[in-house]
Amino acid sequence: MGLKSERSVFLIFKISKLLCYSPETLTTNTSTEGEGESEGAKMVKFLKPNKAVIVLQGRYAGRKAVIVRSFDDGTRDRPYGHCLVAGIKKYPSKVIRKDSTKKAARKSRVKCFVKLVNYRHLMPTRYTLDVDLKDVVSGDCLQSKDKKVSAARETKKRFEERFKTGKNKWFFTKLRF
Amino acid sequence: MPPTKKTKKTHESINNRLALVMKSGKYTLGYKTVLKSLRSSKGKLIIIANNCPPLRKSEIEYYAMLAKVGVHHYNGNNVDLGTACGKYFRVCCLSIIDPGDAAEIFLTCDIIFLRTTKPFGFK
Repeated sequence: MGLKSERSVFLIFKISKLLCYSPETLTTNTSTEGEGESEGAKMVKFLKPNKAVIVLQGRYAGRKAVIVRSFDDGTRDRPYGHCLVAGIKKYPSKVIRKDSTKKAARKSRVKCFVKLVNYRHLMPTRYTLDVDLKDVVSGDCLQSKDKKVSAARETKKRFEERFKTGKNKWFFTKLRF
Repeated sequence: MPPTKKTKKTHESINNRLALVMKSGKYTLGYKTVLKSLRSSKGKLIIIANNCPPLRKSEIEYYAMLAKVGVHHYNGNNVDLGTACGKYFRVCCLSIIDPGDAAEIFLTCDIIFLRTTKPFGFK
């Protein structure tokens, strides 16, 4: 168990390094009258659909995922905050210009997973991925195995076409740790 | 830019405000509950002691940046922060959920608001 916690701590370390966030970019808010109070009242909920997150625990630790649906207050089966995520099980390889179309198609394959994850086992990032997965990954898709497989297959298609456009490069690169 | 020297007076006033919050407001102490309050967007101000481990500090700051919540780096270690809260244990980080009577705590603290836009030079 000590090894497991070390691994997730190391993961968080790598995440903080790679998320291009450095403490030197802090902006100091010198306290001005009235501004402090209004800014203290502003709170933003950030665990929303389309947020890119990194799974921290379990088989998919270190994988990037996207929140499809969030259950802040939990359900009867899971009385804690959790969310339904669709993530990448196997990242696409690097496609170079020399590759033939057949090889490029083979290299751009993405393998996906769909999972319900506790908020504690996720690291939210500042990135978002707006891929419409609401109809594909619905609430009941984790009931049976074949529904899960078909949901994963459909998200695979959507992720692959997003990867081929070249957008959201961060999401499709493997997190090195 | 030379670091702003915190006068003893401001330090005392933060302690006073903290005491007020402890008496009349709502707060949580500790890393786990601070993250919980940030996730549920209940926290209004996060205070971190100066000997907080840097990984944990940057993680809390990152969450606070996402939640657009201010972070105050307390001028003292976790022992001092625990004493300032009136507790007999060490407190490394705390989250103020409802300031109660001490609504001006936001004005006295040097709150750091982290940039939510991408830093210059990154995609």
